[in-house]
Amino acid sequence: MLHRLWTYRDLVVSLIRRQFQLRYRQSLVGISWAIFPPLASLLVATVVFHEVIGVQSPKAGVSYPLFTLAALTPWTFFANSLTSGVPSIVGSMQMVTRLPFPRAVIPLSMIGTSLLDLGIASVGFVVFAIVTGSGIPLTALWFPALLALEVILVIGVVLLGSAINVFARDVRLAIPLLTQLWLFLTPVMYSLESVPDSLRPLYLINPMTGLVELFRQVLAYGQAPSLDLVVPALAGAVALLLVGFWYFTAIEDRFADVI
Amino acid sequence: MSSERLAIDVRGVTKAYRIGVGRARVREALPPPIDRAVARAFPRWWRRDTFNALDGVSIEAPPGSSVAIVGHNGAGKTTILKVIAGVTAPTTGSVSVSGRIAALIDVLVGFHPDLTGRENIYLLGAIQGYGRKEMAPRLERIMDFAEVHDLADTPLKRYSAGMVTRIAFATIAALDVDVLLVDEVLAVGDAAFQRKCVRWLEGYRAQGGTLLFVSHNLGLVRSMTDQAIWIDHGKVMEKGPTGDVLASYGQSMERRDAESRTFGKGQLRRAFASRGLHRWGAGGARLLGVKVGEPSLDGAALNITVSFEAPDLDEAIICLGFVDESGHEVAATESPTLALAEGNGSADCQVAPLPLRAGLYFPTVGILSTDGIVRDRWQLDRPIAIDGTGEPAFSAAFGVVALASEWRRAPKSGPSE
Repeated sequence: MLHRLWTYRDLVVSLIRRQFQLRYRQSLVGISWAIFPPLASLLVATVVFHEVIGVQSPKAGVSYPLFTLAALTPWTFFANSLTSGVPSIVGSMQMVTRLPFPRAVIPLSMIGTSLLDLGIASVGFVVFAIVTGSGIPLTALWFPALLALEVILVIGVVLLGSAINVFARDVRLAIPLLTQLWLFLTPVMYSLESVPDSLRPLYLINPMTGLVELFRQVLAYGQAPSLDLVVPALAGAVALLLVGFWYFTAIEDRFADVI
Repeated sequence: MSSERLAIDVRGVTKAYRIGVGRARVREALPPPIDRAVARAFPRWWRRDTFNALDGVSIEAPPGSSVAIVGHNGAGKTTILKVIAGVTAPTTGSVSVSGRIAALIDVLVGFHPDLTGRENIYLLGAIQGYGRKEMAPRLERIMDFAEVHDLADTPLKRYSAGMVTRIAFATIAALDVDVLLVDEVLAVGDAAFQRKCVRWLEGYRAQGGTLLFVSHNLGLVRSMTDQAIWIDHGKVMEKGPTGDVLASYGQSMERRDAESRTFGKGQLRRAFASRGLHRWGAGGARLLGVKVGEPSLDGAALNITVSFEAPDLDEAIICLGFVDESGHEVAATESPTLALAEGNGSADCQVAPLPLRAGLYFPTVGILSTDGIVRDRWQLDRPIAIDGTGEPAFSAAFGVVALASEWRRAPKSGPSE
């Protein structure tokens, strides 16, 4: 299966290229659209959470906007991948029912497209950090490693979601609601420290909790990733990847019949 | 087990599709091991209704062979191709293919209208498992074959349907394929490109390629394949040399259509609506009905009655022809000039035994004014079948008209022109 997927790597690239070319065709501001959504969320979060409710960055010297953007950028990648990846198999019905190729290619290409968006948004983050005077700490070199961790998680969740969505389209309908609730239940716009101890275990079940905290550590706080966050995040991501991959490969033969 | 490894080896393949919703839907979503476990625990509750799109189908195609699959719409032809191609898995039975396989099941799928011709070729190649690096050296060849060289950088949405088909075929033709599955593809292109494809397919076969061919165009089937499989309702009815199988298939088609041999106005309109161009003409006279008499299977005399109205004409000519499955008008006759008294009328035509080879032929009838203008013309979409029983099948690939000929042994002499 993995070998077969590897021989189709160019299809993943082709599909990413296609999506990227087509998405911004005939749009006025083009790829800036990869930067606007997180910046807009940041603006709202700063006004609502920081100014109105009074949420503060827990680290001295780290402004609330930077504190939030460091988590919001990887979060946007996660949310984008889910939104585009979960309905992707059903959305490519024509190809799935008529052409033999490894089905995982489709959701993987969606994740790839979101990854490109993340690349652009990261540039936005760097510019923001420099312009606001905080600068980028050296620990940001951990970013690729954490991103790899997040990609593992995202692949697992998207494979699982896109496969279930073939049989129950409810999944796709639930995704916008789910990502919205998930965002509020993940310490993106506020810190994990501000979560009451009684709710902590609930938060730590969420694999995104550890991840956004880790991103914040290396991008905003200038700390190395703390092991007590890395271990559960890695374990959760790998477990989800295994489950997602197992489920997907177990039933992908049936996609063409059910879709 | 034969000593030679088969290029396509399909054994007892059954493909069941679920009927209904509810629990059956949930079942589909469960991975096989869990599904089996629940089925063991609650066999009755877990039962589901299915229907078999394929039922115990076996196909053995040795390398270099060319096999046709024929059958009515919905018989399971495309399903078997999809199972062999790996688009969908068989419910029971096994499929093995040796060598690289490519399937041309629906030419328009996988293309994107907003991408250029070149990008689409890369995309199509990637879908077949060929990377950009592998496709780049083939690009020129594909563009040449498809005859769309000037359009490489034009978005596909500006192409005609014929051009898209040509690109699809040309791309597949450029790959290194050992086993090729072709479904009803050549029907879209124009005649010249169709000939080009057929020539290519012949070259492909000459180099040892294996071909599995699905088409309603029995003329093409006859010329392209040496073995055929007739599938009906998911079951193999007959397999063997193409000529023999087509003869049985044609007979069955004939029986099926025997009841509905009269074409009234309503029926034709339905055919017109569902099948597109079946009626055309300059107007000024109208055909009202065409009744095709019961032909005998060996093509003996056939009665055709044509009724028409032509209030504006004093005289008219009725033409009658037969179109073979490739769309070629192969035989025709015309009435003498008919004087029209009351503006409408009917004409009877008795056609002498049709000198046609076994196969299906579509009657076409037209009413013409004396200046030669076709006022109204119908092409019926229900064919008459001419059976080949008693005829040797050897010349099936050589022509459609059965020539009267006399053969003698020539006196012994050297070869000559």
